[in-house]
Amino acid sequence: MSNNAISTRRSFLKNGALLAAPLAAAAPAAVLTDNGLKVRLAKLEDEAAIRDLHQVWLQRVNAGEVDAAATLFGKTKTFALGRTVRSIAPDHTGEPDAIVVGADGRSATGRFHCAVEIGIAIPLDCTLAQMAHQQGGGFVCRTERRVLKVRYAKASGGWSIAKAEFAPA
Amino acid sequence: MPGTPYPKEQMHRIAYTKLSEQQIADKLSKVIGSGPTSASPLSDAFVGKTIRIVTDNGPALAYKFVRNNRLSVAENGGGAMDAGYGALTLDNVAIFSHMIPGTQRGYAVVVDQGTNLATVFELWFSGYDDKREVQREIYYGYVDQAGQEAPKARHAPTNRIEGKGFYWKQDTGAETLEFYPSAAYSNFVELSRLGGELSFCGPSDYIKINEDFCIYTRTECELSGTFTAYVINLNRIEQVGVRLGFDASDALEYYVFRGKGEWLGQLAQFEKFGDESGAPVPAAAPGQTAAKGARRVYRPFKTMAKMTKAQVDAACAKHTSAFAPRAIAPGANAPAASMAGNLGPATDWLAGKSFTLRYDNAPAIEYRVDDTETLNWRKEGDSNWTKTRYQAYESMPGVILFGHLLEGTPNHDGHAIVADFHQGLMTCFNGYLNTPYYANEAGVKILFGVIEMEGLIPPKYNRHSFTDEMAGRAVSQNYAPGLTSMHLYSTPHSLSWIIFTGSDAGGLEWSGPAAYVKIRDGLFFIYWLEEACNGTLGTILVNVHTMRDVGIGYNCGENGLNMNALGAHERLAGQFDIKRFYQVKASGGVV
Repeated sequence: MSNNAISTRRSFLKNGALLAAPLAAAAPAAVLTDNGLKVRLAKLEDEAAIRDLHQVWLQRVNAGEVDAAATLFGKTKTFALGRTVRSIAPDHTGEPDAIVVGADGRSATGRFHCAVEIGIAIPLDCTLAQMAHQQGGGFVCRTERRVLKVRYAKASGGWSIAKAEFAPA
Repeated sequence: MPGTPYPKEQMHRIAYTKLSEQQIADKLSKVIGSGPTSASPLSDAFVGKTIRIVTDNGPALAYKFVRNNRLSVAENGGGAMDAGYGALTLDNVAIFSHMIPGTQRGYAVVVDQGTNLATVFELWFSGYDDKREVQREIYYGYVDQAGQEAPKARHAPTNRIEGKGFYWKQDTGAETLEFYPSAAYSNFVELSRLGGELSFCGPSDYIKINEDFCIYTRTECELSGTFTAYVINLNRIEQVGVRLGFDASDALEYYVFRGKGEWLGQLAQFEKFGDESGAPVPAAAPGQTAAKGARRVYRPFKTMAKMTKAQVDAACAKHTSAFAPRAIAPGANAPAASMAGNLGPATDWLAGKSFTLRYDNAPAIEYRVDDTETLNWRKEGDSNWTKTRYQAYESMPGVILFGHLLEGTPNHDGHAIVADFHQGLMTCFNGYLNTPYYANEAGVKILFGVIEMEGLIPPKYNRHSFTDEMAGRAVSQNYAPGLTSMHLYSTPHSLSWIIFTGSDAGGLEWSGPAAYVKIRDGLFFIYWLEEACNGTLGTILVNVHTMRDVGIGYNCGENGLNMNALGAHERLAGQFDIKRFYQVKASGGVV
């Protein structure tokens, strides 16, 4: 799997065009100018790319691939909970995911209601804890409902994560 | 005069030679042509046959078996090489082994001739810092049948063997007790080779062939590095296997063996019902790819601090604490707060009392207890009292576990004491440092005696005593959320601890010398020494009625000397029938 930041999802054009059709159909086609269609298409492409980026980031976080997940961040690499996060799962009892692309098309925000498993490392103060860590454990885990608030930035044609933090659900 | 069965040095104390690659190659060169030896007649199951074993993501091995000890093998379509081999069978299941000429590699191959499924163990030396330690990679596959579609099924790692224990007697005469309390490690007791005092542990593989047959392996990491693999018939308790490695005198052991055994019992498993997966400890950290042969190995001897007496004295002078709050005692060897999560409340039972502990085999010690955390002690006859911190826990009415350090003693002694004020009896595990191998390793003296106190008349002859009631039992301990282990009281003189994985499978395991004292019916005072490990003296008072334990740990490391309390919620996890192997029977008398 590539560690590169996700660029616009070209496959979306193949599979997503049909999905986009109802949106376009919501307004009379004649009203939309070519430019309006392009803007709308670009927005949908950006949203789809961000959704992909979010999905890849989640996969890496949940696989424990912390360093690989960090490569999806831009220069700032600001992630509030750091390495204590062991998994993030969608919270389907929460509000739907929301991705908002800025008017400039170069920034975006995402809000994702999720269940976060947080693992607090047991101190290496005894043989049992040392052995637990050695076999990949040694964490006290708890799951909390949170809202994952993410800021995205677009540079060189690709989206990356600028900041991710949890807020109370 | 007949000899005892005990070795001069136990396995964890043997300074195994760091064999060089050349030394290993020289020794292997003598068996490549002859193959492994065998005390039993070799099988001719493959003689005259030509087979090709195909493995998933591994080698393809083309064999031509010329005689019952001679084959040619071609790896991955390469040139055929002649080598000696040995094969043994259990019903349809065969195991054979050979080395590859000109290399330090070889194979142990298990073939189910009924299903044509195969498990291939590639084995090699010089793959780790300690070059004598045998490395292994496991490949699953099948015997290729010309014109037939490859089978989809495979042998597979399993936890279905977890919890079993057997007595084995090989055709070599070697007798062992072997316990599988983990799905990733195992525990073995060398009855005939070492007298069976202690148990030892090694990383293990458990592979299911079918409901009746399985494959077990063990590598004696941190010890001789020897590899053992065998097929077990679980109903008839029979085994056929191979052993490859260098013994304590660096002699090459390479033989196939047949054995018969006895079923010793079944311990509980703690995985979710329906979880029969094996290999619960991932070979590599998340996000990393496991190298060939990689596995998680607990290497306590490699990682332990090894200190001199001067270093111990300096460390103790710099930092010594008893029952200190975690914030007060910094460092990795600070009080094991992690093991105190389920510690019950301390008792004030001793506060304000004065008494003397009169040991049968050590000077009596007088006590004046100020409050719940401070006591004064002195050896009988001394004029000065020493004030020190202590903690006490009442495990059963009238039975108090308490501990304190004996500041000023040359070996930095610490006492963990169980005093039964209803019976007037006491037992002390007297921890001390400056032991012969590494000065920071704790040693222990076991002191029995009585309590003298106003209004209490102790017995004249009765004492607490050693017991084998716990031998073979397994008890899980939940010390704190996320920190659960299981003790296996593996012999009357040793104890193993198994760490559970996130899926509650048994994971890494290690073992140490131990002793068991019966305090009351259902109440046992136990110590274990983490020798060639972290050097800790652990003590616990196990109440099998309430299924709680409370204990006192005593540890010296580079951060100083610490005494701390620990406590756990327990569950009984079963028992192996092993006491009969430790009965002293009359022999020919004194010669």
